[in-house]
Amino acid sequence: MALSTGLAEVFYLVTQVTRVSAIFLAGVLITAFWLGSGPAYFAAGLAFIAYNYYLMEPRDSLSIGGLEAALTLAMFFAVAMLTGSLTGRVRDQAEKAQARARTTQALFDATRDFSASPDENFIRQRLAHHLARAGRGDALVLTDTSTFASVEGLEASPELLHQARALGAEDWLNGVATHIVDGWSVRPLHADGATLGVAAWRPLAGGQHAADEQTLLEILADAGASAEARARLAAAMSNAEARARTEELRNALLSSISHDLRTPLAAIMASASSLQEFGDDFDVATRRDLTATIQEESERMNAFVANLLNMTKLEAGALTVQHTRFDIKEVIERTLRRQQLVQKRTILQATPGEDLEASGDPLLFEQALGNIVENAIRYSPAGSTVRIVCERDANDAVVRVTDEGPGVAPSDMARIFDKFYRSPSVSGKAGTGLGLSIARGFMEAMGGDVTVVNRPRPERGLAVTLKIGLAP
Amino acid sequence: MIDSPARLLLVDDEPQIVRALTPALTAAGYSVETAATGESALTQMAGNPCDVMILDLGLPDMDGKDVIRRMREWSEAPIIVLSARDLESEKIIALDLGADDFVNKPVGVGELLARVRASLRGRERRFTAQPSFKAGDLEINFPARRVLVQGDEVRLTPREYDLLRTLARHAGRVVTHKQVIASVWGADAQVDAQFVRVLVAQLRQKLELEPSAPRIVLTEPGVGYRLKADDDAQA
Repeated sequence: MALSTGLAEVFYLVTQVTRVSAIFLAGVLITAFWLGSGPAYFAAGLAFIAYNYYLMEPRDSLSIGGLEAALTLAMFFAVAMLTGSLTGRVRDQAEKAQARARTTQALFDATRDFSASPDENFIRQRLAHHLARAGRGDALVLTDTSTFASVEGLEASPELLHQARALGAEDWLNGVATHIVDGWSVRPLHADGATLGVAAWRPLAGGQHAADEQTLLEILADAGASAEARARLAAAMSNAEARARTEELRNALLSSISHDLRTPLAAIMASASSLQEFGDDFDVATRRDLTATIQEESERMNAFVANLLNMTKLEAGALTVQHTRFDIKEVIERTLRRQQLVQKRTILQATPGEDLEASGDPLLFEQALGNIVENAIRYSPAGSTVRIVCERDANDAVVRVTDEGPGVAPSDMARIFDKFYRSPSVSGKAGTGLGLSIARGFMEAMGGDVTVVNRPRPERGLAVTLKIGLAP
Repeated sequence: MIDSPARLLLVDDEPQIVRALTPALTAAGYSVETAATGESALTQMAGNPCDVMILDLGLPDMDGKDVIRRMREWSEAPIIVLSARDLESEKIIALDLGADDFVNKPVGVGELLARVRASLRGRERRFTAQPSFKAGDLEINFPARRVLVQGDEVRLTPREYDLLRTLARHAGRVVTHKQVIASVWGADAQVDAQFVRVLVAQLRQKLELEPSAPRIVLTEPGVGYRLKADDDAQA
């Protein structure tokens, strides 16, 4: 204001123009713009006095000469006040808008942060951080068992802990409890009717939170609480989903076992009852065919029951493993004979290799190989070839079974040995998902192993390799 | 049936089942065709329709229920569901979709043949008005709404008569709770299956010699009821 007066004085001296009121008004305007409406009123008052004292005739006195001068002065004062008031209001509003934007930004940052993770502890940690930032101080999030602090090393005093944990749902309705201990404000974290913990915050030493700051902190705490509740709900939901998947798996398994047992049984029953009702009308070939069906299907059922029993034994650790010398080629030939009897849609081929004697349990090995071959046949197209190759690899015998089926999707590869796992792409085919896992169980029990790879292009299908130690 | 044998389409992807069932069905005088997938079954029915379809619900290419659904869009040929699945709900859905009957795997050929005969009879009955029905001790005169058991008239309430008429029209074949409700109370009726059970119990009181061990109105557990047909005796 002194600046405006000085400026007006200089202007007057130089130009001898008395209409310098605009300079004073500019001063009021600038004051209002920089400092707000309160200081602007003060500046208008000062301008009024200065204008009167320095510029109105008689100059250098506060007395007013004549009606015209009084009117000019009154007009000047009114305009100065109005200018100051209007400009000041604009400035105040801009300030408020800025504060609002800060609040919104703080809330936005926090909620975005909260939604980044479904982990409750992460949300608590971030809540402490955001409370501290918005309150320009320290913050804690306390649960029944743990403490999350905005700064490393910050801990709740026993008294604060005691007070905070005594808070309940009714305290949530009542809002924030301030200064319970050492300047801390606390608010229960409450969502969906449950108290999830307590948020506590305090300004830096000596400071105090304004009412709107306190409100912002309260809103932040509540947002944190709902994020926590949401995370908890999501966790419960994924738990329920996992349970449903297990249930689904169990149902699939039951229906699969029921199918694998009932299909041979149905064939046996149909054949037997046909023979009983029409036996005399059938020719010899038909009768023989029906009795063959009965025999083959009984064998198939027996093999399936054996697999189920073996799986149980493997699980219970009750498998007894012999270690004897046996001829691998013999086992391969037996497997071929048995599979060829049952499977007519696929061509089986064994490539003669050298005579290898392995050390292990011939029965378990035969069952493992049988499972692999059966799988290969099951998943390859009718008329395609399943090959069995046997060769020596250092001190091991290696038996490789290859088919011309679709192979296994890379995403399923890791799980195909899992018990009861069946690739979604073969859901149309019968099977229990036991074959491979039993084969691996048996081979490992004998100190060998089973590996599976998709055959490299341009070949297609799967190559399953059984490895077993050679007899010394 | 003598000049041209009824043709059956056996739809099952398990070759051993087809192999085991075909000789008996052939020996019983039917001409048997087979299909291993739902798609080929539908194609065969479209090309040269068979008289009865025996359908396994677990097919490699599509759900057996979808085969029924698509068949019923244009064909009234009887479908007998042959399934190892012992889930009642599966059977009920299949029957409500329009399957005529079901048999559980494993099944003896005697029972399967009885179901085939009942389905073929049901098809004939659909095209010819039969004024009366007779099976064992039971006789029904439809125009007069008279019911006789061992020659003695039995008085039935209108609902009991409607139930018996529905079962007789499907004699030898299963009728689901839903089908009973639709024909006794009306298609849109909201009636609990418990009402059906009560009505069946009342009917048995009047028809059966020993209502607790029924020989005329048989229960298909969890699915519905079946009126014993004349030639079911040996099955």
